[in-house]
Amino acid sequence: MRRYHHPLSVRTMLLTMVLGLLLFPGPGLAMEKASIVLHWLPQAQFAGHYMAKDMGFYEEEGIDLTILPGGPDILASEWLEVGKADFATMFLSTGLLKRSSLPVINIGQFVQHSALMLITKTDAGITSLKDLENKKVGIWANEFQIQPRALFKRLGISITVVPQSSSLDLFLRDGVMATSGMWYNEYHLLLSYGLDQEELRPFFFRDTDLNFPEDGIYTLEKTADLKPDLCRAITAATIRGWEYAFDHPEEALDSVMKRMIKEKIPANRAHQKWMLDRMQDIIMPDEGTQIGVLRQDDFERVSSILMEAGFLEQAPMFPEFYRGPVR
Amino acid sequence: MDFNNTKNGDALVVIVSGRMDAITASEFDAQCQSWIEKSETKVVIDLSGLEYISSAGLRSILSAAKKMKGAQGELLFCGLSGMVEEVFNVSGFAAMFKIYSTTEAALAG
Amino acid sequence: MSKRHGIAFKLAAFILSCAFVILVVIVGYNYNYSRDIILRQAEESSRNLARDTTGRIDSVLITVQKVADNIAFSLEDATLSKEEILELNKRVLANNPEIYGMAIAFEPYFLEHDQLFFAPYYYRSGGRIAFNMLGGPNYRYFYMDWYQIPKELERPVWTEPYNDEGGGDVLMATYSVPFFRTVDGKKVFAGVVTADVSLDWLEDMLEEIRIYDSGFAFLLSRHGTFIAHPDRNLIINQTIFTLAEELDSPELRSIGQKMLAGESAFVPVDNVFDDTERYLFYTGLKYGGWSLGVIFPKDEMLAEVRKLSKVTTLIGIAGFIVLAMLIIFIARKITNPLHKLSGAALEIASGNLDLKLPEINSRDEVGDLANSFGVMRTSLKDYIENLTSTTAAKERIESELRIARDIQMGILPKLFPAFPERPEFDVFASIEPAKEVGGDLYDFFFVDDDHFCFLIGDVSGKGVPAAFFMAVTKTLLKVVSEKGLDPGDIITKVNSDLAAENESCMFVTLFLAIMNINTGETRYANAGHNPPVYMPCGGKPEWIPPLGEPVAGVMEGMEYTTKTMTMHPGDVMFIYTDGVSEAMNPENELYSDERLMDILTAMDKPFAPELVKEIDDSIKVFTRGAEQSDDITMLAMQFCGKCDK
Repeated sequence: MRRYHHPLSVRTMLLTMVLGLLLFPGPGLAMEKASIVLHWLPQAQFAGHYMAKDMGFYEEEGIDLTILPGGPDILASEWLEVGKADFATMFLSTGLLKRSSLPVINIGQFVQHSALMLITKTDAGITSLKDLENKKVGIWANEFQIQPRALFKRLGISITVVPQSSSLDLFLRDGVMATSGMWYNEYHLLLSYGLDQEELRPFFFRDTDLNFPEDGIYTLEKTADLKPDLCRAITAATIRGWEYAFDHPEEALDSVMKRMIKEKIPANRAHQKWMLDRMQDIIMPDEGTQIGVLRQDDFERVSSILMEAGFLEQAPMFPEFYRGPVR
Repeated sequence: MDFNNTKNGDALVVIVSGRMDAITASEFDAQCQSWIEKSETKVVIDLSGLEYISSAGLRSILSAAKKMKGAQGELLFCGLSGMVEEVFNVSGFAAMFKIYSTTEAALAG
Repeated sequence: MSKRHGIAFKLAAFILSCAFVILVVIVGYNYNYSRDIILRQAEESSRNLARDTTGRIDSVLITVQKVADNIAFSLEDATLSKEEILELNKRVLANNPEIYGMAIAFEPYFLEHDQLFFAPYYYRSGGRIAFNMLGGPNYRYFYMDWYQIPKELERPVWTEPYNDEGGGDVLMATYSVPFFRTVDGKKVFAGVVTADVSLDWLEDMLEEIRIYDSGFAFLLSRHGTFIAHPDRNLIINQTIFTLAEELDSPELRSIGQKMLAGESAFVPVDNVFDDTERYLFYTGLKYGGWSLGVIFPKDEMLAEVRKLSKVTTLIGIAGFIVLAMLIIFIARKITNPLHKLSGAALEIASGNLDLKLPEINSRDEVGDLANSFGVMRTSLKDYIENLTSTTAAKERIESELRIARDIQMGILPKLFPAFPERPEFDVFASIEPAKEVGGDLYDFFFVDDDHFCFLIGDVSGKGVPAAFFMAVTKTLLKVVSEKGLDPGDIITKVNSDLAAENESCMFVTLFLAIMNINTGETRYANAGHNPPVYMPCGGKPEWIPPLGEPVAGVMEGMEYTTKTMTMHPGDVMFIYTDGVSEAMNPENELYSDERLMDILTAMDKPFAPELVKEIDDSIKVFTRGAEQSDDITMLAMQFCGKCDK
């Protein structure tokens, strides 16, 4: 456990503690420092964390949380491994795959539905994914290739994989027949490049049984063992952060834009607004959804598909893997 | 009243038509004046077109005859018929003036 | 019923409405035409501007393209060694100052079978040329746009502009050209040549573009991203479509799509960016796939035109007011004298002809009217005076005529029965002059105890001259008759007196008879008079034949004959003037001798007084009130009382 380090004198500290005890009766007065690394660049995908930070939800839980932005050069799981961050966000499939080499556990599942999709142009005439046989398809690296590969294997078709970067330029120039994208991001990017919704023919993984829940908070098993309260607190504050963000979208966008500008990432409000709205769709697909909960049936489904597709040799047990909130 | 004047040799043939009454008699006087100015000495007046003549008309003729006489000319009448002939007879004008039955006869006379 | 409006009002209303319409038309047309001119000029100048700007940008891009294309071409020579390649790269960069950096990136393991990456990169830094070998686990360039796109498309491309943090946050664009080598007889993709161009001069170039005060130019990338715009926040952050989404403007989205499609147009964009009205000219660049947009603020463009229109309108309105005042003034100038004249006219009409006319001396139609008015009044006055004196004269003459008539009628025997104590005969006469005085005459008197004379006469013409002649004739006849001569001789003497000194050529027809009242023997003479009617009692009336002797008063020395006939008791001699037979009805038909004869013939027991009355009545019935053309005189002489047969 990290000590709260302050530069003031011992006497002042004692005084503050006594005063604090008298004035603010309550548990856990000391702020615990922690860090979380997000698995991509700042954008509305992480609005819940930003809101929780800006609104002081982490602080209220007694956490002085540092949010570390991710990016193309940063592997969130690696940072966890080497201790650069206490917590990390990543996909469920990533977490499951990583588990075999690194003891990570999920302390909160936020994105319940997969936002991954394959996008084609309407005038390419792709009516079903089978039409992609022998065509060039842009596929992302890492965990993003799991769902597409599994799908094509299932369909029994072979495609020409064109590794995709973060750019959609090749697709825009008709260099690939289909491109990978996230519903909350790339799809709207295409719209923001002038393509109308009628000109796009998307295929959602959400509509298949390859509908993998995605973003969740992970930490090393030993962190979870040592600081269960911290874990719970992080998740709780993040949940509150997301709820607040959905209720106050303009504030959430302000918060996101501020961070993006600081990191010199190209940002515009229209795109972030779309992203925030879609995040709401996939974090709270129904009115009655409880944010932050990983359902066992989702876990088991994803595990079995990963094993079936040969990505996973052995799936962990649910309680081993998940220590987040329960319904 | 209308006057149709044509020269025939040294005689002037005047065909009178219309009514000669107190109102139109002055036209006859004017015509007579013009004959005298033109030094006509022999004027044959054809009254075949004259429908009616009153005492004023008769007076006009008398006055004209007197003037012509004074200018060494003479008036000859022809073409009398109907009422006009009767009036000429009754008033004794037929006896006073040279009356012929036709223009040719008057010219010859 | 229309309201009465003064001339001033009518003039003003009409002229001002016309002037208003003209003003509106002029200002409106002027505004529209000027606006069109300005718009056309703006469009023209925007085309020129765009052409100039795109030309300049294109010239930079084409230069870079050519260089990279040439390098790519020369790299197809497989004999080049690594060192030669490096040297080429460096030299070319050095020689082309517009290029910021150049890389020559090879396919994995292409040059060296153990070297995954081979991508030398020379770039400018701090005035020198720096070197970097690209490629590594963190820089897997095979999947980057600048490598992947030309590889997949097999043609050169300009990548989307980006902010190069390494180069000091400068906006850059990269031109990548694929090059190929022949391996085993087949053409194979070998790698990519890239040339980086910094775009900071773009900002400056576009900023130089001054369009009025608030106009500006912007540049879009191939996919619509802002790469130049006065609002720096938009650059790279936004595409024209995200901006349209933020502004909730489907119009802007559609314009963006057209721009990306390479179209060119000059369109109004009202209330798109904000609530001002603007015009946008857009066109595409030749290289790079970029689009240029130029914004014109409508307000500023049309400010001059609007000002012009405002000023014109103000001038118009001022002119209007002046015109109105002028019209009213002139109209007043016209209507005031007219008013005065009108008042004077009413005064004069009420009888005041001596009214002093208003002084109106203007040299125009109104002055003419005033003059004419004065002339009219004077001549009216004269006319009335004339008329008054003429009327007075006429009345005097008329009264004299009435007296004359009385005198004339007075000299004729009028008392009937004339000789009630003499049963031997009945005589009855009537006379009706056509005018106040007439030219007809009749008379009857005893020449001696046994002989009764009765006569009738008709002087040529009617009226006063005839009346004079009539009076003279009647007097002469009376005087001469009293000498006891025969009728013929009487007329001979009277004729000779009348014919002497008869300058006026007046003549009188006469019928004179002297009857022996004991025997009924009647001597008579006829000087040109229409034949009387002899009505024997119990027999048929017949004409008493004329003697063919001329009218009296014309031929001096004419001797008249006397004829004799005998009247038996009851016989009537009816003598009359041609006023009877020539009495006309409104259809100008004559009463005629025939009708007279018919009536006389129809009489059963003629009795002189009744007979005359009867004829008189029948004449009146016939003429039906038509104007009397000649004097009507009748005399009936009946011998020895009534005819009882």
